[in-house]
Amino acid sequence: MRGMTLIVKTTAGVLLGFIALFGLHVVVTGHIEPGGGFAGGVILAAGLLLMVLAFGADEMRERLGERLAVIWESVGAIGFLVVALLGFIAGAFFSNFLPRATGFELFAGGSIPFADIAIALNVGAGLFGAFLMLAAYRTARGKDQTEGRGE
Amino acid sequence: MEAYLPYILCVGLFAIGLYAIAVKKNLIKIIIGIILIHHSTNLFLVLVGFRLPENGSPLAPVKPAPHEQISKAEFLARSVDPVPQALMLTSIVIGLSITALIVVIAIRLHEKYGTYDLTKIRELRG
Repeated sequence: MRGMTLIVKTTAGVLLGFIALFGLHVVVTGHIEPGGGFAGGVILAAGLLLMVLAFGADEMRERLGERLAVIWESVGAIGFLVVALLGFIAGAFFSNFLPRATGFELFAGGSIPFADIAIALNVGAGLFGAFLMLAAYRTARGKDQTEGRGE
Repeated sequence: MEAYLPYILCVGLFAIGLYAIAVKKNLIKIIIGIILIHHSTNLFLVLVGFRLPENGSPLAPVKPAPHEQISKAEFLARSVDPVPQALMLTSIVIGLSITALIVVIAIRLHEKYGTYDLTKIRELRG
């Protein structure tokens, strides 16, 4: 899969910072506003998809391959399990053990933002890895569809 | 009867999606039927969490803007249920993954058989 021109590459590189910032905001304020881990993970994966579309799947596979996607997905799943097992400090599995308050403050959720961050890692890396796997299909048509090498 | 009108809308959307899956022969229309069934289920479960408070209008369960002075007790009395909305966010992400997988399968079928017609895909050999 080929990349695009220099203008598209530069603009995508600038936009990735803003998309990642917005995704992190949606993840961390999951207990205040609609969002949370799943929606924020999808936004982060969409930012990485923008880079794949702009730079080409081959170049992105050298920088962030499927192996890194699988590793980060597993880190997210293990982090979620750690947050759940740490609930044993307060007596029960997955109980909310950090101090929490009623209201709309940022630190009022207890252990929910940590679970949100772990879920965002899991969903984002999983969607990015799935997209890389699905983009590995090459259409075996005539010679007008072959990739240009040494361009 | 008027209280159940939103639920009847969701059942109607579900029926339209079921009609698209059962009757249509084009693969893309069947995919649209699957998506329609998924979205109607999400809408139904979000609408279950709605409630009309006694005094005042219903509030969305988000942080109120700084220029609106809403006290905590009033917010708790007027807001709708936020739990179905949070769970439906995960369901929408699941629907996204299902749609992506089905569309890739449809693209591969089109490359192999040259058509999206289901009756012709059954007849041709691989």
